Amino acid sequence: MYLALKEIRHEKLRYGLIISMIVLIAYLIFILTGLAFGLAGENSQAVDSWHAKSIVLNKDSNVSLTQSVITTDQAKDAKLSSKEAVIGSTPVVAKHKGKEKVSASFIGAKKSQFIINDLKISAGRKARGNHEVVVDQKFKDDGYKLGDKVTLNSFNDQYQIVGFTKNAKLNVAPVIYGTIPSWKHLRAMEGVPVVGSAIVSKNAKYHAKDGHLKTYSISYFISKLPGYSAENTTFGFMIGFLMIISLIIIAVFLYILTMQALPIYAVLRAQGIPARTLVSTITSQSLILMVAGLVIGAVLTAATASVIPIGVPMSFNLPVLTWISIGLLIMGFIGSAIPAQKIATVDPVKVIGG
Amino acid sequence: MSVIELNNINKYFGSGVSKVHVLHDINFSADRGELILVVGPSGSGKSTFLTIAGGLQTPTSGEVSVEGKSMAKLSTAQRDKLRLNQIGFVLQSYSLVPYLKVKEQFDFVNKVKRQGNLNQAELKELLVQLGIENLTNKFPGELSGGQTQRVAIARALFANPDIVLADEPTAALDSARVAEVGKLFKELAKTRDKAVVVVTHDVRLMEFADKTYQIMDGKMTQATNKQPAK
Ligand SMILES: Nc1ncnc2c1ncn2[C@@H]1O[C@H](COP(=O)(O)OP(=O)(O)O)[C@@H](O)[C@H]1O
Ligand SMILES: [Mg+2]
Repeated sequence: MYLALKEIRHEKLRYGLIISMIVLIAYLIFILTGLAFGLAGENSQAVDSWHAKSIVLNKDSNVSLTQSVITTDQAKDAKLSSKEAVIGSTPVVAKHKGKEKVSASFIGAKKSQFIINDLKISAGRKARGNHEVVVDQKFKDDGYKLGDKVTLNSFNDQYQIVGFTKNAKLNVAPVIYGTIPSWKHLRAMEGVPVVGSAIVSKNAKYHAKDGHLKTYSISYFISKLPGYSAENTTFGFMIGFLMIISLIIIAVFLYILTMQALPIYAVLRAQGIPARTLVSTITSQSLILMVAGLVIGAVLTAATASVIPIGVPMSFNLPVLTWISIGLLIMGFIGSAIPAQKIATVDPVKVIGG
Repeated sequence: MSVIELNNINKYFGSGVSKVHVLHDINFSADRGELILVVGPSGSGKSTFLTIAGGLQTPTSGEVSVEGKSMAKLSTAQRDKLRLNQIGFVLQSYSLVPYLKVKEQFDFVNKVKRQGNLNQAELKELLVQLGIENLTNKFPGELSGGQTQRVAIARALFANPDIVLADEPTAALDSARVAEVGKLFKELAKTRDKAVVVVTHDVRLMEFADKTYQIMDGKMTQATNKQPAK
């Protein structure tokens, strides 16, 4: 540690350059992770807010909420307790003259069941009739107000916005919470014997007792949301590559510095300084560089997060960022392995009398 | 008893047709208070001799013992410890850590070897003796060749070893400096009761030696045998 710190202090420019590289990489990883979580959140926010464990869909729906329809007949043996709720979902375009059109996810649900019961209203109140809706905050950002009336798709019916709710997005689209009859109307299924698109349950083992219906875990259901897995895989790859790049950068820098300093290490070994002391010098240098890079990167990320526009989906998940930081520290540790090996095996005889 | 003894040392490098016999039946011993010079031309085997004496490489045959203890019986860690505690190396170059100030070179020794080093008063006295007491806040890069070599000597003596092994310590110095270093080694051997072994091709050092060996093609002969002054 003594030599590690002394050398860094003496060679400010060199080590400053390495730290700035690590800062950039850490910053990039943090921001990308923020974006990944932001986007993933907008895919599944609404579902997450229900705190459900499982979802029952028509088994022929390919785990797609909008493709799934549950008929009255299929649902007749399903027991619904206070832990279950029926929803009807369909994509819609909301319009209000003079305002921007908003692509949204309509979710019809029963007032008496937990989804509407537990719904947190940030402004206004819950819907009372078929022509009232509670909408995601995004509508407010787009200029909609309480009391505005919107039409959905090409129907003429007007739905009044009576409340706003936060964090209600499904597939990156804001959610419009309405009733099951409104959902049937929007799907043009009035008079058709259907109950909804899905039954969500807070019970992981909920079973609907009909061969046409199948229970999925919520996490599986979310992973099957359109684009969700592809997006996360892409971000995962980018973050993984950045980790590897950081490993290579630290390894190459430390290797070059070590090779230059090898004669000094050789003399120190000749003087009887244990290899362990010298190896710990390079490992602690690597960790110091990583920690410095991570701290500065985190500060920059926090600064960025505070000025980022509302429209950019970004969400910082502290445990995940902590794991990523630990990952980078491990990369630093691995990066110092080859130089450490060089130091441990240096032959003092080579530099003496040369 | 001699503080260091080499008995019938042979060293070969390589094998088969490229096998070279670098040291031939070397017998050598050094006592405390002596400056011993091993003089020979380049390639004669001086560095090989010195590194074997210092336990940095092992002889093909023969025995090295320090304070009567055979080095062959020591583990790598024990040999490290022996070098840390009992042997001080002074080399032609690189002897100092470039990013440590002169005084930090000693601090570092204190961190690794926690006891048996000179205390602050003794260090001060040594630095005065070497004429480098004003250089403690300088980095090695800011020192002249002669100053660097004196700091390296101080570094070697700071750990209070029994033996000082020096390889071409005057290579970078002019005649005046050579005489200075020669005097210094002789004086240090006496006043600090060390066995100082210097291998060099620099015959200018001979006049300061208590004992001089000549090495030629790996064969060592005693050239002059002055009695060490009491
Ligand atoms: N590791 C080695 N492998 C092969 N030959 C070596 C090795 N080390 C030294 N030698 C040879 O041993 C001889 C003596 O080398 P050295 O002890 O360095 O001489 P000096 O220090 O007197 O110049 C030289 O001929 C040199 O080439
Ligand atoms: Mg040599």
